[in-house]
Formats: sequence, structure tokens, C-alpha cells
Amino acid sequence: MNRQGLIYTIVFTFVVSFVFVLLLAVADQQTQARVLQNQTIARQRAILSALSLPAESVEEVQEQYAAVEQLAVEDEILYRVETGRGALVAKEFAGAGLWGTISGVIGVTEGLDRVTGIEIIDQNETPGLGARIDEEWFKRQLAGERIREGTIRVGGTGDGDYDYENGKIDAITGATRTSESMQKIIKAEIDQLEQLIGGGS
Amino acid sequence: MSAVGTILKENLWTNNPIFMQVLGICSALAVTNLLTNTMVMTIGVTFVTAMSSLTVSLIRQFVPRKVRMIVQTLIIAFYVIIVDILLKAYAPDISRQLGPYVGLIITNCIIMGRLEAFAQSNPPLLSTWDGMTAGFGYMAVLLVIAFVRELLGFGSLFGVRIMPSGFVPWTIMVTAPSAFFLLGIIIWVGKTIMNREGAPA
Repeated sequence: MNRQGLIYTIVFTFVVSFVFVLLLAVADQQTQARVLQNQTIARQRAILSALSLPAESVEEVQEQYAAVEQLAVEDEILYRVETGRGALVAKEFAGAGLWGTISGVIGVTEGLDRVTGIEIIDQNETPGLGARIDEEWFKRQLAGERIREGTIRVGGTGDGDYDYENGKIDAITGATRTSESMQKIIKAEIDQLEQLIGGGS
Repeated sequence: MSAVGTILKENLWTNNPIFMQVLGICSALAVTNLLTNTMVMTIGVTFVTAMSSLTVSLIRQFVPRKVRMIVQTLIIAFYVIIVDILLKAYAPDISRQLGPYVGLIITNCIIMGRLEAFAQSNPPLLSTWDGMTAGFGYMAVLLVIAFVRELLGFGSLFGVRIMPSGFVPWTIMVTAPSAFFLLGIIIWVGKTIMNREGAPA
């Protein structure tokens, strides 16, 4: 058969595409459940972490997450949990960063006097600069920070502001715009949480 | 020297994909600020280059010339998606950090370069070896760049802190331009040594 002919070329291309796409579909099907579970666990872990209930392994996450109740308030979903330190509420957020959307989870006390924590799920900030919002030292600054005048200020520079009473955290050196975005996002989320929690009870 | 040895030397040194052919530069700039990510990325590239070389070599007698490159692209894309699926299912954290770069392996010119230059006209096992060693050549250069960038940019190696606490990280090492400088230096050093070796002959 003429291997350079039109019919052969068409049939060959079709068969090759078919075979490879079929194999991909099988591989995707085989791993789908696992990928979905990974995503669910990652989301639950982020919510727990924002509520200052850290959980590492999959079992820990599932066990801790069992105590979290989901509340639909208006169009948002709140994650509420009762702890020894009173009720805590978390909410997923998404806001504009410098290069793209920053999404994550923020947790507060139900009385809205402190932020319990923040967890970043997805961001596209500059690696090594803005992307450091996902680093432990930055997020730890917010774990228990008092909310003053309805917000938390992100400013100045340093290695982290661990004074949890001053309502202020350190910005990231060289990432002014991302730090400003974080301040805006936190402010907007606290405002919204105030409405949702106030309106819900 | 046997063909196997010649291919190894060619791909690692005299015809190194990065510093002789200057291919695959985009990923050399993008993923080299952390050693762990670089390692995973280059293992991915090596796997894709080796496997697509094998596949192209196996079916080389049946491919009509007109659709040669389309078929090659299809095969490369197939293996890249397999790598992506595996990472998502079994290493979700690394998959998240590498983000879009795994998918971009498809556009790595090294892979298509080896398919066109070698696998197209050589037996399967030798082609696999050629693809694999081309991947190693790429890996070697990227790891050197990543070593310098992570050490100076973050003060750590494979995420483990090495530098003393007083060390001030070089912000430029974290951003892409530093990879340009380092790559330039590597090409300069490599070519100088090569010219010296070649001089007496």
C-alpha cells in the first residue's frame, strides 16, 4: 500500500489520534476519584487551617472536619465550628492580586474581634515576592490577630509582626502591590462576614 | 567508542541541549528557583523525551511524511498529559506548585528536536537512550542553575535551610532574570572549556 497516499494518511492519522486519546481517557478515568479526593482534602485542610485547627494527614483532616458545619447565608457558604475558645467562622474568598486572582479561606471568631487564620488556595503572584503570601511566616502573623477598626493593616516591612494585639501585620518586602491587595481582600472579607454573621443570627 | 557511549557524551556535553543547542530555555528560566521543583520538572522532561523517542522510533516506518510532525506533537502531548495526570493524583502539592509548567513541557523544543534529529531514523532502544540522555543533559544544567538560585535566593537547598540566620536573600535570584545571567555564565564557561579541549586537535 502506498504509505504517502491520501487515504493512508487520513486513516493513519485517525487511528493514531484515536488510540492515544483513548489511552488518555482511560488514564483520566482511573485517577479521577483520587484527584477529586485530593482536591476535597486540600480544601478541607485549608478551611481547618484558617480556623486554627491544623490537621496534617488525611485521617486527621477528615476527623477534624466532621465538627465543622456548613451554613448557607444569602449566597455564601460559611464554615462554623464550636471550640473551647468560642465559635469560629470561616469563609472562602477570591480577590484581585497583582497578576491574577488570589483565592483562599479566611477564619474569624464569631464575635469578629479576631482573625483566626488565613490559608491561600490559589495565587499567581510573583514567585519569591508576592507569592510569599503563601509562606508560613506571613500567614502565621494573622493567626489570632485582633481586628481593629474593622480591618487589619498590612504595612511596613520586616520578618513578621507577631504582636497579635495591634491589628497590623508586616507587608512583604518587594511586593508592595500584593501586600496592598491582601489588605483590601482582608478588609472586604471582614466587612462581608460582619454582614453575614450579623444578618444570620 | 560505542554508539551508546557516543550518544551519552554528545547529549551531556558536546551537544548539550541547553548550552550548545540553546533549546528549552523558557523552562530553564521559569522553574529553576527551587531545587525540588526543578528535579520534578526535569524528571518529567526526561520521561517524556525518552518515551516519545521510543514511540516515534517504533512507528517510524508507518508514519506518512506529510503528517510526521503532527503525529510527533500528538505523541509528546500524550506523554505530557500522562505526567500531569500522575502528578495530580499522586503528588498534588508538587502539581500545584508547578502549575502550568508541566503542560508547557509540550512546547519544549528539546523533545521535538530529538524526535526529528534522532528517533525518526534510528532503532527504538537507541532512540530511547538518546531521548533519556538528552533529558539528563537538560537536567544537569537546570540543577546547577537551581542550586545557585535556591541557595542565594532563599538560603536553602531542597527546602532545607543552609545559610546562617544573618544571611540576606538575594531577591534577584528568585526572579527569572537571574536565570538569564547564570545561563549566560554556564554557556561561557562550558564553551571556554570545550574550546580548550578542541584546541590541540
